[in-house]
Amino acid sequence: MSYIDTIKKLPQVMTPGSSACQGCGGELITRRVMQLAGNNSVFAVPPGCMAGAGVDGWSYQNGCTAPIHITLLDNTASFLSGVSEMYQRKGRGDVNIVAIAGDGATADCGFQSLSGAAERGAKMLYVCYDNEGYMNTGFQRSSTTSLGSRTSTTPAGSAINGKEQNAKYLPLIMSMHNIEYCATASPSHMMDMVGKIKRGLECSKRGFAYLHIFSPCPTGWSFRPDESIDVARRAVRSNIFPLWECERGRYYLSFDNREPITVREFVKSIGKFASLGEAELNALQASTDSRWALIKRLCER
Amino acid sequence: MRHVTPLGNQGMYILDTAAWRVVRPVMDKNRCVNCGICLSLCPVGSIYAEGKQILISYDYCKGCGLCAAECPKQAITMEAEVK
Repeated sequence: MSYIDTIKKLPQVMTPGSSACQGCGGELITRRVMQLAGNNSVFAVPPGCMAGAGVDGWSYQNGCTAPIHITLLDNTASFLSGVSEMYQRKGRGDVNIVAIAGDGATADCGFQSLSGAAERGAKMLYVCYDNEGYMNTGFQRSSTTSLGSRTSTTPAGSAINGKEQNAKYLPLIMSMHNIEYCATASPSHMMDMVGKIKRGLECSKRGFAYLHIFSPCPTGWSFRPDESIDVARRAVRSNIFPLWECERGRYYLSFDNREPITVREFVKSIGKFASLGEAELNALQASTDSRWALIKRLCER
Repeated sequence: MRHVTPLGNQGMYILDTAAWRVVRPVMDKNRCVNCGICLSLCPVGSIYAEGKQILISYDYCKGCGLCAAECPKQAITMEAEVK
């Protein structure tokens, strides 16, 4: 059965009418993860775009048909460790324990509890939709924001020109915890993404599974809403966001990028990179190339 | 589209995101091959399948235009919303 038939067949878990922006990558990812996990699941969504958009169903608005909890920004993984342990002891290991968190709640505030849960091997699937910043509160920088991005705390001006530091590459850090499953995915490569979510759900029955999904943000990054998927595709093709997976210490490349496009082609039409000059673009290209070389060395095919 | 959450005694409500729309996707069924790529990419989940046919529901569509941009057969066009 193809991935489209799978999506067609499964009912939506998240209600329609979420207040996410037009063309939101995070909403697409959340719907897909919830749909594939199904109703026999417990979700945790920390504060962020998706919690704010009404996935949690607070103030009697929207919601979801499966049990869902809005955790704090920094305790999502430890909260779910307890929930997972409770279901194991009750003998209900079939329940999917899923976290859907933004990059702020994963890489910055929630990293301590996430790292702890990964080290303990808590049985859950942790999905991070990486929109490179705190988009819900007004596009502040986070540690996964890429070099040169214009955000509200790293504006483009005479003193600085966007973010001056390189992005923290979280998926590789998570795979170094020796977890059961770790993968990166992009909504532009939907077949790959659906497969990885399914594999992640399977592996979450045995140990900690982590998925890092690229989520283009039209409002925060300033591009047209209908370009979201194209931006995600360009990010994969320019090696800004390589697709790979790691299962029990073995790395596999999911998309072998034989003819990569340049970073210049990725940044065109994205407003947050509009002020970048030649030197900054070369620095971004160099950091992208070194990351791609590292990933290629790690992967077996 | 069918509501998936029952209404509670406090009165749960579903946000009417269709009111945000300024352009609406219109599917040309003569060009559509029912591949379902638009269905897999719609962030709102507004595109549904009835048997083999792929159809667009306008109940919650926000009019982002992703389906029109990604359609491999250019079967979807965005037309201005008129009252």
